[in-house]
Amino acid sequence: MNAELLPFQQFQIAFGRRIRDPKRVARPKGVPARRMAIYEELLFNNLTGFLDACFPVGRAVLGEVRWRRLNRAFFRDWRSPTPWFREIPREFVRYLQEGTIRQPLPAWFAELAHYEWAELTIDISDAQIPAHDPEGDLIANRAVLNPALLSLAYAWPVNRIGPAYRPRKPQATYLLVYRAATGKVAFAASNPVTARLLALIAEGFSGRDACLAIADELKHPDPEKLVAHGRALLEELRRLGVILGAKP
Amino acid sequence: MVRKPPVGAGLGFRRELIETLKAGVPESIRFFELAPENWAGMGGRSGKDLRHFTERHPFVCHGLSLSLGGPSPLDETLLRRIKAFMAEHGMGLYTEHLSWCSDDAHLYDLLPIPFTGDAVRWVADRLRRAQDILEMKIGIENASYYVAPPGAEMSETEFISAIVAEADCLLHLDVNNIYVNSRNFGFDPLEFMTALPLEKTCYIHVAGHYTEPDGLLVDTHGAEVIDPVWGLLEEAYRRTGPVPTCLERDTNIPELEELVGELQLISGILDRHLDARKDAA
Repeated sequence: MNAELLPFQQFQIAFGRRIRDPKRVARPKGVPARRMAIYEELLFNNLTGFLDACFPVGRAVLGEVRWRRLNRAFFRDWRSPTPWFREIPREFVRYLQEGTIRQPLPAWFAELAHYEWAELTIDISDAQIPAHDPEGDLIANRAVLNPALLSLAYAWPVNRIGPAYRPRKPQATYLLVYRAATGKVAFAASNPVTARLLALIAEGFSGRDACLAIADELKHPDPEKLVAHGRALLEELRRLGVILGAKP
Repeated sequence: MVRKPPVGAGLGFRRELIETLKAGVPESIRFFELAPENWAGMGGRSGKDLRHFTERHPFVCHGLSLSLGGPSPLDETLLRRIKAFMAEHGMGLYTEHLSWCSDDAHLYDLLPIPFTGDAVRWVADRLRRAQDILEMKIGIENASYYVAPPGAEMSETEFISAIVAEADCLLHLDVNNIYVNSRNFGFDPLEFMTALPLEKTCYIHVAGHYTEPDGLLVDTHGAEVIDPVWGLLEEAYRRTGPVPTCLERDTNIPELEELVGELQLISGILDRHLDARKDAA
């Protein structure tokens, strides 16, 4: 975009570059150091406020110095397109997943951050509750999922990670994060079969068809047995509030 | 939802205050102000809380992310979301900062625009487009800043006046910003204020600020309003008549009672100018 920039916009670009990277980018001409420093501080502190609020565990496991260094690299290297402040944490997760990061980080760090972001995004989700029959049969019909639900699969036990627990070996971990009837965010352990069942329901399968499809995928010798098992599983998910009911 | 126009004194709507406000909104709070970028599309408990208050009180929409002076294309998607959000909650007034907050990506804070002719045309074009989309006039707020961008071709008051005239928009007057800038750049705040197109004032902000050890004033909205700023507010009303006025408090938020005290001060000054108008009529 530089070719067509007006002179005032050339200043803006230079000013923005400096704010993102005060260590390596020169101050634009005519800007006093003291005043420049105010902006460098204000903008970085503003950004870290959003990150600190969403990622308390990530911050704690890295420690203050490494956390701030990572925050700085994010501010410097990532181009965030969203005008919504609540989406800054999502951009940070994308940066951890897709960005080029030179700072050594634990292998599980991006997954941990994703899990912390999941809580925020479910808490503020504006998905509307669809029509459902709370008592409906979950096997004969298609179940209605809680619209504020993430069925998550991680390579690491992200729900247990903290300053006192830093896993060395991956351990496949399935989790459900969803908004409970109280309005609060709830967490539940999941597993590959539950995750698959929820995915098939989301695709439009009835409970029975989803169970039979899973039986087929698993080459299960007794598909009806799996349907019976599936019914119990679906009822448990309804009890938790992961499933709201059946399609009316 | 039916539009509820703001009158009198209002308060910035903060999550920190919600629980207290649920127990009862003091009479001195005649309206609330919020940033759409913090609240539009919010579901869950936050969304419910907002709905509870917008159903009962007038709200003003005060934007943060539009980047009116920014070099990237105007974010029309954001404007359409804001328009729908305002309709959903019965808001009739939208103001934004005369600043920029993104270059090729968002920086999430307000930065100063160089006062040049090109910038006047650039911002006025964007404002006109934004007003077309919103189908209403926008109030632009005189910003606080710490760097006077080099290359200025005119004074700030000329810059603001030119944009207001060219875009046919409204003025959102921030008296604390004038005061902070006047101290940081050494000019007379009253002289500055009276050079603005005050007849276009739709809305006023008043706030406190922080003084750095070296004397630099930082527009934190984190302290009580100081006397010189109250003085400027009074001078503003003498010229604009009574205009809805919001007390901004974004950091270091005290008990609601303390803010109510400041809101009563605003109302007191407003009432004096209402009475003065009646006497003159």
